[in-house]
Amino acid sequence: MELSGPRWKGKNFAQIANSNPMSEIIAQLQVCLSNSESAALPIGTDFLLETVPELTKLLNRTSFGRQLTTSYDSKQYFQLSPEETFYLHHFLKCLKVSIDNAKLIDVNDFWNFMRSRSELFPIYYRAYVHLRSKNWIVKLGTKNGVDYVVYRHHPALVHSEYAVIVDRENDKGEKEGERMRVWSDLHCAVRACNGVAKAVLLLNVMGYEVNFNLPELLERTIVDERQITRWVPSQCRDDCKLEGNKGEHH
Amino acid sequence: MAQVIEKKGSLWVSTGVIRNSKLYCHIEEIGYLAQIGALVLFDEGDNVMGLKDIFTKCADRQYGCSWESFEAYRHLKSLGYIVGRQGQPWSLKHNKINPNSDSTVDTDLIAGRIEELQIGAANLIFDIHQPNSKFKKTDPGNPSFIICLVGDRPPSRKEVEDLEKKCKSVPLKFCHVSHDNVSFFSFPKVSLPVLP
Repeated sequence: MELSGPRWKGKNFAQIANSNPMSEIIAQLQVCLSNSESAALPIGTDFLLETVPELTKLLNRTSFGRQLTTSYDSKQYFQLSPEETFYLHHFLKCLKVSIDNAKLIDVNDFWNFMRSRSELFPIYYRAYVHLRSKNWIVKLGTKNGVDYVVYRHHPALVHSEYAVIVDRENDKGEKEGERMRVWSDLHCAVRACNGVAKAVLLLNVMGYEVNFNLPELLERTIVDERQITRWVPSQCRDDCKLEGNKGEHH
Repeated sequence: MAQVIEKKGSLWVSTGVIRNSKLYCHIEEIGYLAQIGALVLFDEGDNVMGLKDIFTKCADRQYGCSWESFEAYRHLKSLGYIVGRQGQPWSLKHNKINPNSDSTVDTDLIAGRIEELQIGAANLIFDIHQPNSKFKKTDPGNPSFIICLVGDRPPSRKEVEDLEKKCKSVPLKFCHVSHDNVSFFSFPKVSLPVLP
């Protein structure tokens, strides 16, 4: 399918987005979070963050985590995904994290902690950094059968344009990930995503080695972006004028 | 490859290749036209070849065709696309070609495909032009895209890049045939913009 551009959810929403660049809101979040005493704590595979109204507003505006509804007024609670937590801690350098509820953890110990929980965390984090550092909003794409969905601005203003699948290859250019291994995987992804007006974006993390440390992960890997599209020859595009007989249709 | 002895109709504007002013057909073209009753094929003994023999030859892999590439050919041709063998000129004048000799070099020059289609590997098979009544074999222009036939598993990023280099700037589409389903995918490189 060909996307004709972002689908804004309301009439002036494109202007609202233009007047509120995401990078500026994120900068405000960084200041607010740095000044906050609150530290993220592990809950299951995610992280819990206790917040106050000003921080709550900024986390919501930058679409990090999901707010847990409670009956409390003075404090709010957010559940952050592993990538979100690590991004706020390591890349934006503004979130404090405490693993055993006693003292704050530093970035290298936190990196080892995340890696011990999930072998693939470095791959997903690399993809997450790639997308968020371009100021796209990144949410989990489980409901769409993909890894992430990305938005051009806040999900309240615009529909997501891309459904993202994360793959990886070794230094010989050989595919290593488990995704898109057979043709039905491609059919499945494209059908599911085109049905909700999203293009499928395949992010391939290239050059990763298991013994990389955190700086090497970011500096020595490249993220390749390719779209997966299905062409249906019986549905012609602009310059296609069918003449003569049509045979089989699929 | 067969020589067209008698032809009727406008379908020959975009079917078959010209070698030294004579018109020849590849096996997939023969298979398609024979199936729709638009062509009769004779063997050396002037006997009519039945569809079973023609289909078997399509699937043989000896003539630069496989059953899968034939299915892809048939699918696109029946939708009106102009389909030629990848990299092969539609029209060639070569004084040294003598179709009456049984030199294998001459046959290869006419047939144009020396290597067999390899099972499992990715093969560039067809140059596709849009359905266009202005198509001329003597001046076809660049194809609109090139079809690559792929085996069991989707191509890796590196395989896609290597094949794109072979196609230069012509867009590439990957074809997978399974039973009677012919599907086409492409993997264009994109660049997500950096947002404000």
